[in-house]
Amino acid sequence: MTDSATLEAVLVDQDEGNFSYPEDYAHDAGYGLTEKTLDYISDIKGEAEWIRDFRKRALKVFEEKPMPTHWASADLDNIVFDQIRYYLAKGQRPTRSWDEVPDDVKETFERLGIPEKERKFLAGVEAQFDSEAAYSNVKEELTKQGVIFVNSIEGLREHPEIFRPWFGKVIPTGDNKFSALNSAVFSGGSFIYVPPGVKVKYPLQAYFRINAENFGQFERTLILVDEGAEVTYMEGCTAPKFETATLHSAVVELVAMKDAKIQYITVQNWSNNVFNLVTKRGLAHENAEIRWIDCNIGSRLTMKYPGVIMKGRRARGEVISIALANNGQHQDTGAKMIHAADETTSNIVAKSISVGTGRSTYRGLVHIPKHLKGCKNNTECDALLINAASRNDTYPAITVRGNQHATQHEASVSQVSEEQIFYMKQRGLSEGEAMSLSVNGFVNDLVREFPMEYSVELKRLIDMEMEGSVG
Amino acid sequence: MSQSLRIENLHASVDGHEILKGLTLEVPKGQVHAIMGPNGSGKSTLSKVIAGHEDYVVTEGSVFLDEINLLDLGIDERSRAGFFLAFQYPHEIPGVSNANFLRAARQARLPKGEEIDAVAFYREMYAKMDELGMDRKFTARSVNEGFSGGEKKRNEILQMMMLEPTYAILDETDSGLDIDALRIVAEGVNAMRSPERGFLIITHYQRLLDYIVPDVVHVLYDGRIIKTGDKELALELEEKGYDWVTKDLVPA
Amino acid sequence: MVLTPPDETTSRPANGWCAAPPVTDEPADLPAWYRELRESAWERFATLPTPTRTNQAWRFADLKHLRFEEYAPAAEVSASLAASLVGRAVGERPAGFAAHFVFANNRLLHAETPALPTGATCLPIAEALVRHPELVRAYFLRRDDVLGGEKFAALHAAATLSGVFLHFPKGCVAELPVIIHHFIGGEGSIAFPHSLVVAEDEASVSVFDLFESIGANEDTLLVGMADLHAHRGGRIQYAGLQDLSDTGAKHVQLQHTRAGRDASVKVGFINLGAEWIRNESVNRMIESGADCQIFSANLANANQEYDQRTLQSHEAQHTTSDLLFKNALYDRSRTIFSGLIQVQPGSHHTDSYQTCRNLLGSDEAEATSMPGLEIDANQVKCSHGSTSGTISDEEIFYLRARGIPAEDARKMISLGFLHGAIEKLDGDDLQDFLFARVERKFAAIG
Repeated sequence: MTDSATLEAVLVDQDEGNFSYPEDYAHDAGYGLTEKTLDYISDIKGEAEWIRDFRKRALKVFEEKPMPTHWASADLDNIVFDQIRYYLAKGQRPTRSWDEVPDDVKETFERLGIPEKERKFLAGVEAQFDSEAAYSNVKEELTKQGVIFVNSIEGLREHPEIFRPWFGKVIPTGDNKFSALNSAVFSGGSFIYVPPGVKVKYPLQAYFRINAENFGQFERTLILVDEGAEVTYMEGCTAPKFETATLHSAVVELVAMKDAKIQYITVQNWSNNVFNLVTKRGLAHENAEIRWIDCNIGSRLTMKYPGVIMKGRRARGEVISIALANNGQHQDTGAKMIHAADETTSNIVAKSISVGTGRSTYRGLVHIPKHLKGCKNNTECDALLINAASRNDTYPAITVRGNQHATQHEASVSQVSEEQIFYMKQRGLSEGEAMSLSVNGFVNDLVREFPMEYSVELKRLIDMEMEGSVG
Repeated sequence: MSQSLRIENLHASVDGHEILKGLTLEVPKGQVHAIMGPNGSGKSTLSKVIAGHEDYVVTEGSVFLDEINLLDLGIDERSRAGFFLAFQYPHEIPGVSNANFLRAARQARLPKGEEIDAVAFYREMYAKMDELGMDRKFTARSVNEGFSGGEKKRNEILQMMMLEPTYAILDETDSGLDIDALRIVAEGVNAMRSPERGFLIITHYQRLLDYIVPDVVHVLYDGRIIKTGDKELALELEEKGYDWVTKDLVPA
Repeated sequence: MVLTPPDETTSRPANGWCAAPPVTDEPADLPAWYRELRESAWERFATLPTPTRTNQAWRFADLKHLRFEEYAPAAEVSASLAASLVGRAVGERPAGFAAHFVFANNRLLHAETPALPTGATCLPIAEALVRHPELVRAYFLRRDDVLGGEKFAALHAAATLSGVFLHFPKGCVAELPVIIHHFIGGEGSIAFPHSLVVAEDEASVSVFDLFESIGANEDTLLVGMADLHAHRGGRIQYAGLQDLSDTGAKHVQLQHTRAGRDASVKVGFINLGAEWIRNESVNRMIESGADCQIFSANLANANQEYDQRTLQSHEAQHTTSDLLFKNALYDRSRTIFSGLIQVQPGSHHTDSYQTCRNLLGSDEAEATSMPGLEIDANQVKCSHGSTSGTISDEEIFYLRARGIPAEDARKMISLGFLHGAIEKLDGDDLQDFLFARVERKFAAIG
């Protein structure tokens, strides 16, 4: 039973990211992936030879590596790499003013509320439309403090002494098939440097938008936060609903130097035709802290396991993860915590919700090797199943060597039971309201970890997903 | 039409088994009726059927709340129409606080676009909790989670007081309560007795009826009301047992 | 030793003992179906690939122990050795028992059945195959679901003729366990102990397998299997104690449960010895009301590696299961626990729990836990937990404050930790026996 208010809410939600503008691209690398595709991208970008070589080596690795279907979903085999366009751009450099952004692109981001959010609470924004950023701006005072916030190619061209030493070092090309693919065709993304001691008060935001059909977006992000500095970075993503599969495969590398703090927040709301296969890893030096706060609501298949390598003494790593898998979706998410120094601590809290035929999977890896002292890990993963056809899988792996550490792992799977819904309906709540209340109750403690503006949006997204789920 | 909760010739079954076999009963506004009956007579089925539980199929008969045909409505619509069921086994709702839950239930009763007055809501809730001797900390706890049997039943009465139904069924609210809790729950119900409200109290024992004195007592047996009387009937039942009334049954 | 190749034309690996299945001293009148089954198992063994670490079922496993070609069928022991082994087994067994069998190197040495209930069948498998071929056929080696050990299962099926067939008919109840000793010895020996246990409606049976080495420091391999079938309301307890030589001995124990309506099955693994072990425990609850409980207490030291994989498969509504595995690790030992709770579509109202606890007693010990859940039904309550840690200073302090020296305190806490799993098994004599063995190993660790 779905009342009219519920229906309205659902329709609004579907409309929100589901629009596109006619294609009008100056640069289109065409379908399929060969060395020529890479040359096309390198030529347009006017890249240094080492980057061209880097791309070509990566393509070979991508071609050699098998699909990880021996442990991952066989749905991966439905990606047809020959039917994807690897580079689409309008040929403009990103502007610092919304007024100079092409109309259709500007309207896109206005409909998504980006300029408004920028005015309200952001220190800097980068808005990527298909392969390239259309808009990139950071508050003047940050620039004066030496904060760099540019796209990947500009970062490598203008500040090679800062970015090149770390580029591809946290996530090597051959880490997995999709990190290799990204290394071959990467375009866009954010390169950020925060100088020692600078604490960026407001978040930096990147917004990734796919507009075109049969397209792959491969942004590359590298965030370097120097000693004692702090930054919060947020990314959001949407795409229109197409009949055909779209691919999003990013590589995100974080480096936190001594005493630095990085908080990386993702609200992923891709449409249900997007394969979202992302590699994210951070390197935390002494007493540094890296937190991944990751929320996956959209996409057809997401595979994403943010990781932290705790390389320095007393480094801390954290993954807070919410996944909501609705009809036809598979959220395959988790975390990797590699302890590589004494007294390092990591924390993983993951909650997943499966609705309708949705499927959620948690995969975790916690590694505490020998000869370390005083390492701690805590892992909690809880799953909530909404309908009879919903499914959840949990596959953690925890290796501990030595007697000077403590790890604990707890997981549970529970249900919003029919009797619970009956009880709430008897008090006058509609089925949608009852579901929303139950699900929000389940994720409540994690939603609090998101910045205010995002936690409100998240609650709203969950409400809409839930109200649409019953009927 | 009369102002009453009217159940007429109600037949209902679960998994193909007929449990209610032509039950007829009328609770006028302003009255408290009690239904007593042995285990398996259909007491709990009656409350769930009226609330609209989907496991039960109504095969014949009608249930009217004043002029509203309840059987046409969904579970939540029945609730918003003024029907309340105090559950025998109130369900736990992990992660949802009592305050949020009650607020959502009250909000659901407001016209679209109208927002609940939070200050007034809390003031009212606290006053009613005080009446029921409930700790304020209850508001932050998840609904019924980790509650003792007595706490759950008290919470049911609190919800009833906050939602102000026109007709309420209390399904074995006395089970699992010690005498003090029973007295408090009964006081809560008595405070709500009014010419504008009707109660149907389902119980296995006469004990509760010492505290909530009924106007009419019905005996339910094998899915039908087989005897109706005043409060003395309850005492008689307690003394003589259910065999006494069932023996009176004249085979049809 | 008698080698009887089933068929000269069978495809076979190029070298080593695998040139023929290691069949020993078999009765002449074995049923034809059994010979066929054995031959096809042998073919499967020959063609199945040797597991590699990229196989998820062998993730984290140390596969250097998997060298089939280095083993040959265990040779018959001498009469005097046989007598001393029987003496050893009889001298050291739980006080009360319904029956006691002793096998060494695949051959039966001793059998006594002082307290078998009437109606119960309790025979060495070779004999049961001849005397009750159809009854045995309904259950024997019919399973093929393992957790990565397909090649071991095939090898076992191609070779096993040692072990006991237990069939308890409707309502037949034994209070005391059936004890079965399996000894193995001789450099490069391999043996195949099998326990086949069937409890018909409302029957109740308890089995205790003990695996021990004849001598020390010999490279031996046991590939054993316990196959448990509990019908409506039936109850089975299976406990396996592996107390082989710490050096040289290797042990693969495959166990399989099928629990029918309202049946309840308890399984316990206690590992104290061996250089390397692999336990695979598949527990299927195939009808409503079925309940499985799986426990394990493992004490590893030196370079021992214990690799345990479990499955709790809920295939009907209202089924319940509980699993508790406890590992105490010392020196450079390693343990791997991989457990999966699987709730099949439609198996609503399932309650399932799984816990693995690791107590790390040295700086170099390594414990890996992979507790998994796959839930495809609703009205389900499932949870798993795993912890790894060491004895806390506060615990030690508390005991020392009561006058107990630090070393004793440490030992007491570790023992208590393992007892927590052992005490879940039924039978006071059995528990006492297992506790004593655990303490003996602790004394050896020092």
